[in-house]
Amino acid sequence: MTELAIAVPPLALAAGVLACLGRTPRQSDRLNVAGALVTAAAAAVLAVAALTGEEVHTRWLEIDAASGVFVAVIAAVGLCSALVSPAFLRTGGRSWFTAARSRHAYYAALYAFWAALFIVPLAGNLAIVWLVVEGTTGASALLVAFSGRREALEAGWKYLVLTTLGLAVALLGIVILSIEQADGGLHALGWRALANAPLDPGTTLVAFVLIIAGLATKIGWAPVHNWLPDAHSEAPAPISALLSAALLPTVALVAWRVKDTLAAAAGPGAAGALFIGFGLASIAVAIPFLWRPLPYKRLLAYSSLEHMGVIALGIGFGTSLAIAGVLLHVAGHALAKALGFYAALPLLRADPSAAKQPLRGVGRGSTATAIGVALFALAGLPPSPLFASELLIALGGVDAGEPVVVGVAVVLLALGFLGLLHAFVEGVLPAPRRRSRPHRGSRQVIVLTSALSVGLLALTVAAAWLPGSALVEGLL
Amino acid sequence: MAGLILALGLGVVLVRRRSLAIALVSAQSLALGIMALDHAAVAAVVLAVKAVALPALLVAVVRRTREPRLVAAAAGPLVRLAGAAAAAGLAAALVPPDVRGGAAVVVTGLAIVVARRPILFQLLGVIVAENGLSLLALSVPGGLSYVIELGALLDLALVVVVASFFARRIHLELGTGDTELLRGLRD
Repeated sequence: MTELAIAVPPLALAAGVLACLGRTPRQSDRLNVAGALVTAAAAAVLAVAALTGEEVHTRWLEIDAASGVFVAVIAAVGLCSALVSPAFLRTGGRSWFTAARSRHAYYAALYAFWAALFIVPLAGNLAIVWLVVEGTTGASALLVAFSGRREALEAGWKYLVLTTLGLAVALLGIVILSIEQADGGLHALGWRALANAPLDPGTTLVAFVLIIAGLATKIGWAPVHNWLPDAHSEAPAPISALLSAALLPTVALVAWRVKDTLAAAAGPGAAGALFIGFGLASIAVAIPFLWRPLPYKRLLAYSSLEHMGVIALGIGFGTSLAIAGVLLHVAGHALAKALGFYAALPLLRADPSAAKQPLRGVGRGSTATAIGVALFALAGLPPSPLFASELLIALGGVDAGEPVVVGVAVVLLALGFLGLLHAFVEGVLPAPRRRSRPHRGSRQVIVLTSALSVGLLALTVAAAWLPGSALVEGLL
Repeated sequence: MAGLILALGLGVVLVRRRSLAIALVSAQSLALGIMALDHAAVAAVVLAVKAVALPALLVAVVRRTREPRLVAAAAGPLVRLAGAAAAAGLAAALVPPDVRGGAAVVVTGLAIVVARRPILFQLLGVIVAENGLSLLALSVPGGLSYVIELGALLDLALVVVVASFFARRIHLELGTGDTELLRGLRD
């Protein structure tokens, strides 16, 4: 498994190089599909090995069940984004690069971003993880602003500056943590080394708060989420899916590992309370926006804020049920949110005004079905796995002795459910403003809707088996 | 030396001309390189990248993005300076004594981003914040592994190169580098 873990990120980079070797757009698109399939297949084998109990704990690698879930999510969303990218590039309109360079720039940045994402759940050292997370910023900022339009440039700039500054704050915490240790070398910041180090509680708490607050800007937890709605709404749809379904939860995994590693020294109560605070704030800030008539992709962005809040709550509770809920929520949110963003491709092609206006009638075609499945799954309507995961996290919160927090969260989530239901009734059900013929992109959405719906149902089934399983218990 | 590095950072809050601000940040990086002279390899890389290459790139950006007029300031220079100094002082008071100087410079970088409207100044704020982290690593014995320092430097260089593309493109699109005009996305 070690060899595979070392091979997957370079494989993604090699796939990017391959896609850039294409001499014509069609060649590049085909090489992109081939490279993405090979990368995702290798990552899937790695994820299955990690999920079936194989573990690696070395200075450089930390592979456990959580790595398995996150590698699987990154592989699935990355593959789907690569598969829909040719359709986006054919019809996505202008780019800030020249026509000749546009495709190559897009694929180079996409695969660099994907490769970096793979490293994060596998790396065994906090400092290396920080370097990689910071390294994702450049490539993903270029992708956010890919269209070169004024709004996209604004979103990309905000994302670049805010997340870089946030990560600088996190690095400040890492430096303080490093200074605290007698051997301040690189290996002292390994996950295992940190967990076993004799750390001063006061200094560790300061470092912990700085690291989590810094990472929160990249995860998009309120109140440091300002870049999130802009970047998600302005980025190309395949990139919005990668940002929301893969990047945000993957950085949340880093925060989770920091908590697991430092909570004993910083104080388990304070560590949990910080996550619960970010969780409740994120859900509370997101809910009013789910009720407002927002453009479709912006609505999905605020839904991401809500769901990152739910994940923060689960990590903060930290009980067996809550952790089972977190794993399920990460996977379920990834599939539903990615589908939601992919549905934006045919939606915006048929009605470009939907980029700036709320949904007002999508009709009953494949796009409406995809949007409906995504919105209902994200709202947590059974049989969505997000219903099961939110229930598990709520029960985990009660287990953790936080009934008031659970009560507040449940009320807020119920309001969020009604908000998304309202968006569906108002935006999707009415007849469309204009008719459009089905095209290749729509057929692709039909296939994706079917595949991701099966995945969502499989996760719902897994919810019955997950609590108390060896997979979850191994993470406690 | 830490006082000089902080003062150069606060100078960026104060000055109006972009070229002067780049010179201040370059001088700040030079001071950091001198502090790292005990470790020749690290010092050489810091000097080459932060004090020479990145400022040269930013000067090129300034030349290609001439402002038709000076971008109006969000607040007067003394108000900006007082705000940044207060934020830096507060940060220094909240962290352990060993890391006060570095934390103050990091917060000065954040203050530059908040207080200055031109894109190039915001980018300089990011570099000043990173310089604060380098100061921390250098001022404490065994502060931070060189691998992490050099990795962070590489990340910074990547961010500055990408941000330079943004600066030119935004100037092309808006005719100015005033971030006040980048406020169209609101709910």
